[in-house]
Amino acid sequence: MSTPTDRPQPMLAVEGLVVKYGARTAVDGVGFAIGRGEIVGLLGPNGAGKTTTLSVIEGLRAPHAGTVTVDGVDALRHPIDARARMGVQLQSSGFQPELSIEQLLRLYAGLYGVRMSHREALDALNDTGLERESGKRLKNLSGGQQQRFSLLIASIHNPLLLLLDEPTSGLDPQSRRSLWQRIENSRRGGGSILLTTHSMEEAQAVCDRIVIIDHGKLVATGSPAELIATHRDDPRVLALAHGEPTLEDVFIALTGSDLRD
Amino acid sequence: MTDTTTIATPSIGLTLRSLLRADATVIARSRQTLILNLAVPILILVITDRAAARPGGNALGGQASGVMIALALAYGLLSSSLLGYSITVARDREAGVFQRLRVTPTPTWAIMLSRLLVQFAAAIVTSIIVIVVGGIMHHVSYGAGSYVLIFLVALYGAAMFLGIGQAIVGLIRSTTAVNAVGRVLYIVLLLLGILGISGALGDTFTNVSKWTPVGALITLFAAVQNTGAWSSDDTWSTVAIGAYLVVFSVIGIRWFQWESN
Ligand SMILES: Nc1ncnc2c1ncn2[C@@H]1O[C@H](COP(=O)(O)OP(=O)(O)O)[C@@H](O)[C@H]1O
Ligand SMILES: [Mg+2]
Repeated sequence: MSTPTDRPQPMLAVEGLVVKYGARTAVDGVGFAIGRGEIVGLLGPNGAGKTTTLSVIEGLRAPHAGTVTVDGVDALRHPIDARARMGVQLQSSGFQPELSIEQLLRLYAGLYGVRMSHREALDALNDTGLERESGKRLKNLSGGQQQRFSLLIASIHNPLLLLLDEPTSGLDPQSRRSLWQRIENSRRGGGSILLTTHSMEEAQAVCDRIVIIDHGKLVATGSPAELIATHRDDPRVLALAHGEPTLEDVFIALTGSDLRD
Repeated sequence: MTDTTTIATPSIGLTLRSLLRADATVIARSRQTLILNLAVPILILVITDRAAARPGGNALGGQASGVMIALALAYGLLSSSLLGYSITVARDREAGVFQRLRVTPTPTWAIMLSRLLVQFAAAIVTSIIVIVVGGIMHHVSYGAGSYVLIFLVALYGAAMFLGIGQAIVGLIRSTTAVNAVGRVLYIVLLLLGILGISGALGDTFTNVSKWTPVGALITLFAAVQNTGAWSSDDTWSTVAIGAYLVVFSVIGIRWFQWESN
């Protein structure tokens, strides 16, 4: 089993990424890397460019500049090879509404090259606590069940790189924690994870390292503890903190307190 | 979950099988669509049968039952291949179904090919039902050779309507607009065909309507039911359908966007 240190090549390397929507620059020179087995949180206010950054890595959008390398594969030149190495949970998951979750599971397993019998599909759903829902449509599942299902689809082929866009948004605390556990578990196979979240608690609980972006630009990067330690004496942080500075104080200090929506 | 990570791109056979199974399930579950595909053709067969049965009465403008069956076949295909296809593609594009499929290591041509193959299967099923009902209502039966020719023309016509459907989703991004344009086009083509055959609006109109997609297809369907008499109009109808097929497919593929926004 590989550990983060025994191979120098990062699992994901993003360099100088620029994405424009018309005249508007949504991502402006973002670069970061993720080591093997590492869980990294991509944080930023609404509209910061998180989903756009992920969509370039996933090959859904061509950037105006920059490179993306997944496990040594140039993801912009060889998107199919890169996608075979990643599992993706989109911010809004579009699954065919006519299909049951078992049918969806077997469809996506097949698309990732995993042959799955009816029995194996039920086993996988069982591991996800969805065995009794196998015949249901996704829309008839609770929010937590839907997110668990979406994570199951993303990790069905034990990907080297898992990309999760706001995997726990809208979940109750129980579902959130159970999902954190699953995210944590999915790295046991040696894979790396890049996730976006608005929850500082989540970032601290699950992520080894955090990348903060705002207005499409990289603002800060480091482990939660490093970020707090580096910025604890920043006057903007001091003005916000009640007692010990928290990650949230640092985040707001770095990205400003005006509302984005 | 096992500890191994999958890196090889999945085999195209497994990919296509998985897509075909899912797309076939989706279409089979859309009962409403299937019923609508058959409602108009069967209505045409019933009405023309009644009209012909009245003492001294005859079907639309004194046309032979072969033409009525041809009309019904053409509308079955118009509804399933043009309307059904463009509306599902637009809907899935807006709901993010394509997005979700495209982040897997699946070539985009495979996603489209599977949908088209399933549409061709639906076109054949629609044609079989119309032919059987039409045969019973109009007391006609065909030799095996005619059946084969009818199904070949059905596939050819389905390809043309799929091409037009592709052009609609290629040129129009909004799902609501695709729905509206598809339905308006359906009604316009329906009326052109019926009014053209009936001769109610004069010879010029009939001559023009004969070369519309529906008109040309009706000519061809009528011709293959009556294999003895192949005319130059039949040849030109074959050419016209081929031209519509190529032109609209090229437009539809050239300008197609996988995302709705
Ligand atoms: N398809 C799109 N077309 C035009 N602008 C977009 C599109 N998607 C996102 N944007 C804009 O790009 C910026 C970044 O969006 P996004 O990456 O979704 O941010 P985040 O995921 O961090 O909330 C926002 O200003 C958003 O309005
Ligand atoms: Mg987002």
